[in-house]
Amino acid sequence: MRLFGRANDHQWSQQHLSHYIEGDLGRRAQRRLGRHARDCVDCRRGILAMRALVHMIHGLDGVGGVRAPAGIFDRVRADGAGGERGGASPAPPQNA
Amino acid sequence: MARLRGKHPPQSAPTEASLLARARAGDVGAFEQLAGAHADRLFAVLLRLLGDRSEAEDVAQEVMLRAWQGIGRFQGRSGFFTWLYRIAVNEANRSLDQRSRRPASVSIDAQALQLPASPHDEPPRQAENSELRAALGKALTGLPPPYRTAIVLRDVEGLSTQQAAEIVGVGQAAFKSRLHQARLRVRAAIGDEALITAGG
Repeated sequence: MRLFGRANDHQWSQQHLSHYIEGDLGRRAQRRLGRHARDCVDCRRGILAMRALVHMIHGLDGVGGVRAPAGIFDRVRADGAGGERGGASPAPPQNA
Repeated sequence: MARLRGKHPPQSAPTEASLLARARAGDVGAFEQLAGAHADRLFAVLLRLLGDRSEAEDVAQEVMLRAWQGIGRFQGRSGFFTWLYRIAVNEANRSLDQRSRRPASVSIDAQALQLPASPHDEPPRQAENSELRAALGKALTGLPPPYRTAIVLRDVEGLSTQQAAEIVGVGQAAFKSRLHQARLRVRAAIGDEALITAGG
């Protein structure tokens, strides 16, 4: 028995393309989207475009070439030399 | 497990736990060693979030200072790396917020978010991909900060959904939804045709 109509399937599929391309849906949901995409040009196209986009973003590089500035600990050293911690700055996250 | 009381391998690197303990006790050198292991990557994230090198440098110093001042309150429920990144994301957002209040705001450098050319691309393909990279950089810099943060942490940095969600302080389902919305915006800005063609 089909639980969802085609229009519902389409809307739902469009909202879950990211999850689908990452295999992040449950087995049943993955099948549902795959089945819908076989008959839906828009969703097939959406899957291809989303895959290409994520692949392209993954290719964003630069960490290898980016170096932290030499003075990144300057304020820490100044603070440490003052012998006080927990000064004027607002507190960092508590729940860590 | 047997403990070797009072004996340490002479040249073994200190563990994160021992550096953490020393940093908590006020040892600046230990803190620098601990946080320094993540400094390059953290700075790259700030550069991508802020798009401006001098602002990223300023924020990076502030992140380290806040981490140093707050290390006594770090309870280890999440990893040190996650905690440090959370401070970085909060500070980057604070900086972006301040920037948006300034009358003449600094423009984000789209170059900071662009893809490098692949040496394997053929020349016509390189030109095509270069345009696409420029479009991607522009689309990413145009995203509202929460969306840009989601893409930078998950898709650029390659963090897991769990780590990225912890860093931005939302549940995993909310993070996935935010990431999807961010990708949809970038996809719309670039266009399906160009993406699919580039994807081969």
